[in-house]
Amino acid sequence: MKRNKFIVIGSGRLGANIATKMSETGEDVIIIDSTEDAFRKLQETFSGYQIVGDATDLAVLENAYIKHAKAVVITTDSDNTNIYLSHICYYVYNVPKIYVRLSDTDKGKLLEGTYIKAIYPFTLSLAEFMDQYEEGDV
Amino acid sequence: MKVVITGGKHEADYIVNTLKEEHHQLIVINNDRQFAEYISTNNDIPVFPGDPTKAYTLSDAECDNADVLLALSDNDTDNYIACITAKKLFNIKRTVAKVKNPKNVELFKKLGIDSIISSTYLMAQTILNESSVENIIKTLSIEDEKIVMIEIGVEEEYHLVNQRIMDIPFPRNINISCIFRDPHVIIPKGDTRIKAEDKLIIISTPSEKEEIIDFIQKKR
Repeated sequence: MKRNKFIVIGSGRLGANIATKMSETGEDVIIIDSTEDAFRKLQETFSGYQIVGDATDLAVLENAYIKHAKAVVITTDSDNTNIYLSHICYYVYNVPKIYVRLSDTDKGKLLEGTYIKAIYPFTLSLAEFMDQYEEGDV
Repeated sequence: MKVVITGGKHEADYIVNTLKEEHHQLIVINNDRQFAEYISTNNDIPVFPGDPTKAYTLSDAECDNADVLLALSDNDTDNYIACITAKKLFNIKRTVAKVKNPKNVELFKKLGIDSIISSTYLMAQTILNESSVENIIKTLSIEDEKIVMIEIGVEEEYHLVNQRIMDIPFPRNINISCIFRDPHVIIPKGDTRIKAEDKLIIISTPSEKEEIIDFIQKKR
């Protein structure tokens, strides 16, 4: 079985832009969102597939070739859904690379013991602020 | 037992009342403030209004090392997160999740939830087991499904009615262990005659089950 798909779940600003960027680099991208409207955030250069559906339904994930995924990026607007989906990708489909966006840094503890990588906009913004503030100080 | 009950309305209320009688240590966590107050005024137990998918709620409610956590909300994903948080961060021994989508029963099991309750799933299993249209009441699997126990009601037009067991050409691997002839229970011998309205308790193997049922139900 060849794992050559790059899957993005949740077509918000972050998800849509990751999908567009990866598509531009030549990846075979599939993006899933529960509403068709969300795909308007994709740029014109996006050349992958769009799937409308609830990703917590395994049928939708399998339809999006989750079994052939080399990486999955999960960016829905609910932390609980994101953790749940990352666990499904990890324990059921053994996707080799899993990235998940989390608002609540506490939830990251639920990923301990796995190779799932968490991205915290909060931590990144805080670090960025500290950097800018210190720069301004000089 | 220390039992944490999260989410749910009627379910939570009923479980609190049932377990209270047996002197278990109960903790209730519910997102609905009004419902939390209702439980709190009617019972002398700790009640915490809050989101059970957040670690600090479970921490405030002192759920550490509980024996069981029940997740009864209407959202399958939230129930999963509450159970996993309980297991990973609070060392809670058993987790029980309610699910709306019956397909999640198998999935949650795979993901490490100990028990999963789905009313739709249970309903389907009950129908499969009972086949209530026919006169088969129950089949029960024992010893990891290597043995089945079949309970069949005998109807008047069945070919075995009024025959002696020794004269009936039964298929292989069948043992009529017991005949229930209201109000008597008969342990059958070769010369026992089968009568209409009898209930036969049969022990067999799963592979022969269909053949036996077909045989018993053959009409004259």
